[in-house]
Amino acid sequence: MDIQLKRGLLDVCVLAAIKDEDSYGYKIIKDLKPYTELSESTLYTILKRLESAEMLTVRSVEHDGRLRKYYHITAAGLNRIDDFKEDWKEIQSIYQFVTKEDHQND
Amino acid sequence: MTKQIFLDQLRAGLYGLPQDDIEERVSFYSEMIDDRMEEGLTEEAAVAGIGPVDTIISQIIAETPLPRLVREQIKSRPRMRAWEVILLILGFPLWFPLLIAAFAVIFSVYVVIWSVILVLWAVEIACIAGAFAGVIVGFIQIFQGNLLFGLLLISAAVLLSGLSILLFFGCIAAAKGALYLTKKVALGIKSLFLRKENSK
Repeated sequence: MDIQLKRGLLDVCVLAAIKDEDSYGYKIIKDLKPYTELSESTLYTILKRLESAEMLTVRSVEHDGRLRKYYHITAAGLNRIDDFKEDWKEIQSIYQFVTKEDHQND
Repeated sequence: MTKQIFLDQLRAGLYGLPQDDIEERVSFYSEMIDDRMEEGLTEEAAVAGIGPVDTIISQIIAETPLPRLVREQIKSRPRMRAWEVILLILGFPLWFPLLIAAFAVIFSVYVVIWSVILVLWAVEIACIAGAFAGVIVGFIQIFQGNLLFGLLLISAAVLLSGLSILLFFGCIAAAKGALYLTKKVALGIKSLFLRKENSK
């Protein structure tokens, strides 16, 4: 997949993983596993990017005598998901247009 | 590979990046490994699940923009040096006696270890000398007519020689142990410096 396209998709995937409840790094990777393979270093980069874009906030919670970082989605993050849904409608119509061209060529 | 080795290698490999960035990444991977272990994986398997540390390091460095790396190098070096020089001068009355004290402690540890060995060998030599002296003086006493006293001396000499044989093996073992201990202490001091180099 095109790197730029995948990058945008993964951002939304991570946001969707923390949409319903706050989550932590390893859980995000596990939750996304059925849909897309995400390495730790890629996740770190995405989380950093989303944090600086203020689409999520981070808090450290003590768990079993150590600290675990929980990620919480912000209003901007929720907007990003909504934007993606809108974008997707457009992408779908573009897709139909592209495949229609294919059918006409056949 | 253990978690600590993995994190140490990661930290060493990221040298040159901003310090807080390194620490944040290290704690991120630490949390990832802990979470895997909490699921029931062994430490080894949890670390293996993260992937090869070299790949991760090169990926992170590849992701970090070159200007940022260069900036960090330029920014940190001269300033650190200047601060180091100032701190060195200002802190001289403090760190110099501490340094001497540290060397004195290390030196005294060596002295203590080797004094024990020295004492053991001194006792060993005393036993051997005592045995020889006991036999000689014992025979002299017998020839002079003091049979009982002579026999007592000779039997004491036999006892001493037996003791010296036992002690000889003890001395060898103690010397080997001291040598091992000395090497261990030296290794500990060296690794202390190595760790400082890496984490700088």
